[in-house]
Amino acid sequence: MQKYEKLEKIGEGTYGTVFKAKNRETQEVVALKRVRLDDDDEGVPSSALREICLLKELRHRNIVRLHDVLHSEKKLTLVFEYSDQDLKKYFDTCNGEIDSDTVKSFMFQLLQGLAFCHRNNVLHRDLKPQNLLINKNGELKLADFGLARAFGIPVRFYSAEVVTLWYRPPDVLFGAKMYSTSIDMWSAGCIFAEMANAGRPLFPGNDVDDQLKRIFKLLGTPTEESWPGLTQLPDYKAYQIYHVTTTWQQVVPRLNSKGRELLQKLLVCNPSERLSAEDGLAHSYFADLSPAIKFPDGPQSALVR
Amino acid sequence: MAGNFWQSSHYQQWLLDKQDLIRERQSDLKVLSEEDYQKIMIFFANFIQALGEQLKVRQQVIATATVYFKRFYARNSLKSIDPWLMAPTCIFLASKVEEFGVISNSRLVSTCQTVVKNKFSHAYPQEYPYRISNVLECEFYLLEMMDCCLVVYHPYRPLTQFVSDFSNTDDTILAVAWRIVNDSLRTDVCLLYPPYMIALAALHIACVIQQKDLKSWFAELSVDMDKILEITKQILKLYELWKNYDEKKEISAVLNNMPKARTSPTPPPNQGPSDGTQMSQTSQST
Repeated sequence: MQKYEKLEKIGEGTYGTVFKAKNRETQEVVALKRVRLDDDDEGVPSSALREICLLKELRHRNIVRLHDVLHSEKKLTLVFEYSDQDLKKYFDTCNGEIDSDTVKSFMFQLLQGLAFCHRNNVLHRDLKPQNLLINKNGELKLADFGLARAFGIPVRFYSAEVVTLWYRPPDVLFGAKMYSTSIDMWSAGCIFAEMANAGRPLFPGNDVDDQLKRIFKLLGTPTEESWPGLTQLPDYKAYQIYHVTTTWQQVVPRLNSKGRELLQKLLVCNPSERLSAEDGLAHSYFADLSPAIKFPDGPQSALVR
Repeated sequence: MAGNFWQSSHYQQWLLDKQDLIRERQSDLKVLSEEDYQKIMIFFANFIQALGEQLKVRQQVIATATVYFKRFYARNSLKSIDPWLMAPTCIFLASKVEEFGVISNSRLVSTCQTVVKNKFSHAYPQEYPYRISNVLECEFYLLEMMDCCLVVYHPYRPLTQFVSDFSNTDDTILAVAWRIVNDSLRTDVCLLYPPYMIALAALHIACVIQQKDLKSWFAELSVDMDKILEITKQILKLYELWKNYDEKKEISAVLNNMPKARTSPTPPPNQGPSDGTQMSQTSQST
């Protein structure tokens, strides 16, 4: 631990305290996540193991880097790359004004990170502005993989209750146990709208019921026709049929028509019809994105990625 | 995790060189013959298998635990940590990593006691000595020694894919090859070769056993057939060893020669200096 000088406490993570710290030798600033080991408990917590496992395997510019794991007597400390702030804090500093190019850049990077996770069969499952780190170069990185899991065959039932309510898709709210990459795509859609509105959350529900009502009021209540299998979901119950009365222009007034089209393709109640991260990246909304963001390594290597 | 093997920590950090493996083992091989060393590794793989079966975990968990066990002793002497403690620790960690769920502390220890008493008393006549505090401490060393590389790729998935590539009806060949893959965990191949190659070697042996001619299918693969043959050889060597070997009768003598941990089997929960002696065996990760 002598290698790092603790600077300040940044916050409490899922399984431990997070500190900002500086490498005494290189002066590099890092984030230290201390893992609590409860002696008579499960040993190293599963959530910490999951994060270590996945970040050890996933290396991408839009995914937070795990530099090191430090072992000291009965303590584990994860050393992450440091980011100045997260998207939630970023919203707080932008006073209701967010540049449309920034929205586009963040959304592109979010989809890049997700496409990489999904290509590697990893679901994040807990996307929210607090879990998206923003550094001073305007780079966005997915963080907090404590709830993430790798998926693959055989498909088993995943635990319910994983996504923060506001970013949770209707299928999960109805108790769907077999979710896939589509879970993250819904959250990405919610975050996209929130960015476009400079930090005003799209569906700030108070409970599952309120959450679903807010979603259906905007998108219309889904039916067995629009979403085959809907009524078979474990916690399904019938909701009042809401008809769409709000236009997307009213929902995200500052987003252009292409952006609105992308948003609509993400916020689809039926998970099987939700856009994938890969297809999202190819959407024409990003056509005029600055090449520096689109191809950070130059066009050639971006093709390989 | 079904990620990309070629970018994985398994590929990048945990495919070892045969010469390195032999060198790392030198201190143990001063005391044990190579064959006895292998017998010990086979024995503890069997112990892990028995624990896993008793705990009703999936084969995937057992396989991962076995690889963890082998990784640890690939870099450490048998005397650094008692394998009787390391075996359940590997199952405990693998179960969490493979998201099988956490095995409760009391169940883990009681299962060890039961399995040792009922199935391994010929090798360990005393009562199983370790407690959960030992396991949790050991988990820590294991994690550190593996440099937290926890995701292990196994030959099962590539095997299934290969078999479905040439036939979707032939279940016998898959079943035979699957068992050979299980057996391969009793050799060093999982430390030395990528899992898809082990799958091919298992398939190769299965074809010979089942008298199925897949020469043309193999010929179309662009793989290094020499390596497949090396793996095949190592697995066949295992079968050769098994032919004339009665583990029940012989293992106790072999285990008696095993280099023993200097720490007592039940170290006090908060041991200072004995901690240090164990630590010195594990290399500091960078």
